[in-house]
Amino acid sequence: MAITGLLLCGFLVVHLAGNLLLFAGAEAYNAYAHKLHDNEDLLHVAETGLALIFFTHLYLAFKLSAENRIARGRGYAENQSKRQDLISKVRPESWMLATGLGLLAYMILHLADFTLEFRDTSHYEGLAPFDKAVSLLNDPISIIGYLVGFAFLFAHLSHGISSAFQSLGLNHPKYNAVIKWSGLAFALALAIGNASLVFWAQSQ
Amino acid sequence: MSGQGMNLTLRVWRQAGSEDKGEFRFYQLNNVSEHMSFLEMLDVLNEQLIKLGEEPVAFDHDCREGICGMCSLMINGQAHGPDNETTTCQLHMRRFRDGDTITIEPWRAKAFPVIRDLVVDRTSFDRVISAGGFVSVNAGNAPDANCLPVPKQDQEKAMDAAACIGCGACVAACKNASAMLFTSAKVSQMSLLPQGKPERARRVLNMVARMDEEGFGSCTNTSECEAACPAGISVDNIARLNREYLKAVVFSDEGI
Repeated sequence: MAITGLLLCGFLVVHLAGNLLLFAGAEAYNAYAHKLHDNEDLLHVAETGLALIFFTHLYLAFKLSAENRIARGRGYAENQSKRQDLISKVRPESWMLATGLGLLAYMILHLADFTLEFRDTSHYEGLAPFDKAVSLLNDPISIIGYLVGFAFLFAHLSHGISSAFQSLGLNHPKYNAVIKWSGLAFALALAIGNASLVFWAQSQ
Repeated sequence: MSGQGMNLTLRVWRQAGSEDKGEFRFYQLNNVSEHMSFLEMLDVLNEQLIKLGEEPVAFDHDCREGICGMCSLMINGQAHGPDNETTTCQLHMRRFRDGDTITIEPWRAKAFPVIRDLVVDRTSFDRVISAGGFVSVNAGNAPDANCLPVPKQDQEKAMDAAACIGCGACVAACKNASAMLFTSAKVSQMSLLPQGKPERARRVLNMVARMDEEGFGSCTNTSECEAACPAGISVDNIARLNREYLKAVVFSDEGI
């Protein structure tokens, strides 16, 4: 879970970095999009690799959740945390499967929009990548779906990053606070960065 | 000292045997002294039950001074009750108020089957220990203490890990019923010291394999175990176990 999760984060960074070119204007973004699709073979290899990482993460998530439920067996009639450092009762670490499934739903919508073009394509047919992106980001379903998706992303990563480091044994009193807070900052940056594109598109 | 004790309603898990379905039963217990420990309160309940000709509630206990790790109990949904770094036997009734209803359940885990009422079978922990939680040395005179220099920090970390009393609160409090805190404490206490180094790779591989076989869940880093642990074992040990495990899988000669 940790390795695939961190690899997926790597993809998110690159993906967001590319998309932030939308701010640089139509020319830069179109050049990036065309360059990306110049070598279709290479792109397919990268996509396959990404899909492999993604489905491994998904498979392990379901497998571990099922195993963990069996490991408990009969649950408690009452259950309360003894942690003293909790800010709220709603904790991302208890909702990793739920936020993960939320992200999956977001991804299905996102791929249906941009890659598979399952939804109505008439309003951007034949347009350049920049105009297609702006058009899609103005679709009401996409706006809501994406913003909710980014909220799920923040919730998922706010536990996921530091948890991945702990699972890989990367824990040291000197760095624990740094890992925890930079993990949170990273999650927030990704969510805000992505959301900024949606808000920006409204003004286009 | 006030003359009048507390009146409590106890909601206790009763299960006649491992095959029995089990159910909660309510008991009224009056005039409970705030100076009693939680287990003494249960002793009073049992005297009351015996006088009424009912089966007393079975619960595990031994030293009653927080050392042996025998007492357990999920009290109002918290392993060993509301206090941090406290075992059930060291919990006192002054933590409760007159008129409270207290829910008492056994540890819940597939690897800790209920034997009777509040008593669970924790021999799965013993089997995890037998899988590698030891140091193989030839018997004989103890070597001179100064022959094996141990850095102070390592010595302290090892001692902190060795404070684990094996009660199973970590498993009980974990939403996945994972035994990672227990196993990591045992792995840490030995791999930090020179005597434990020769077997460290084999130890961690075997203990983790045994832990999985016993049906404990996996760690999702919620740190509930650390908060529930009466001995204050830190989740840093879990990271150490993960490191030891990765190192053993990637670099050791074990399993060739």
